Amino acid sequence: MPKDIDSSAAPPGLRARLRRDIVLGLKAGVGTFWQLSRFMIPAYGIALVLEELGVIDVLARAAAPVMSVLGLPGEAAVPLVVGYVLNIYAAVGAMEALSLSSTQITVLAVAMLIGHNLIVEGAVLYRAGMNGLAFGVLRALVGLAAAAVANLLMGVF
Amino acid sequence: MREFLSGSFSLLFRVFVIVVPIMVFLELFEGTRPFRAIVRGWSRLIGRWLGMDAETAAPTLVGFLFGLAYGGAVIVRDTRRHKLGRRQVFLMSVFLSMVHAIVEDSLIFISLGAGAFWVVVYRTGWAALVTVILGAVGTAAVRRWGPGGTAGH
Repeated sequence: MPKDIDSSAAPPGLRARLRRDIVLGLKAGVGTFWQLSRFMIPAYGIALVLEELGVIDVLARAAAPVMSVLGLPGEAAVPLVVGYVLNIYAAVGAMEALSLSSTQITVLAVAMLIGHNLIVEGAVLYRAGMNGLAFGVLRALVGLAAAAVANLLMGVF
Repeated sequence: MREFLSGSFSLLFRVFVIVVPIMVFLELFEGTRPFRAIVRGWSRLIGRWLGMDAETAAPTLVGFLFGLAYGGAVIVRDTRRHKLGRRQVFLMSVFLSMVHAIVEDSLIFISLGAGAFWVVVYRTGWAALVTVILGAVGTAAVRRWGPGGTAGH
């Protein structure tokens, strides 16, 4: 990390610096917000359409045994899979289409936060000299295990 | 269609309310002394628990805070610059692949009602645990079969 960017330069007024930082932050924030929206809103729409078409019901039945270990309804498999393939924002969009309790949201969040965006992030890891595919499998499995344990622990406390 | 429009709007609103303040906050505190002190403390912490070098600690913090793509870019650069060993890159990759963009990604789920402890502390705990386990597996593999390509897997 580059050090001393601010401290070595002639210090502009505190007020000016604050204003500059806030403007930079607002720009970065709005930019990120736009990037997120581009993935989230289409995914949210797709999830709603899949629900209308009954596709979620079919997937739900197939994945129900796994999801029930996590204390989740079968259709929670959809945001999970969307997250694995696309990214966390798309997954959040898909999750919004379901009605879940706050415990279920937490369990699903743990699984999705550990394993998501496996294709793009696998490529990043591959660039660093790692096996991107193996890391994808690792993250999906660890995410499910952590979510299952979280579900058990939250039932106790 | 009405469901889509109202749902989209509330989703966007919540994300906007979360993301923009974070970015302003980071911009304000990135270069400050406390922030750098945190980097030093972090380096000691993960060096001790996860077996990472001081050189590995900085890119790991970048990835932990800002995201795998940013952290990954720093990993690739430092791998060349500091000649980070394969074991160091492996440890860093295992840890970062499971927790990165800790503030942003966590807050998105917290804003939707997920428990903060679970998505931040509990999740980081799992990542650290898996890193320690796979690090030990790597050490055992090296001891048994020598420092071949298997060390990282």
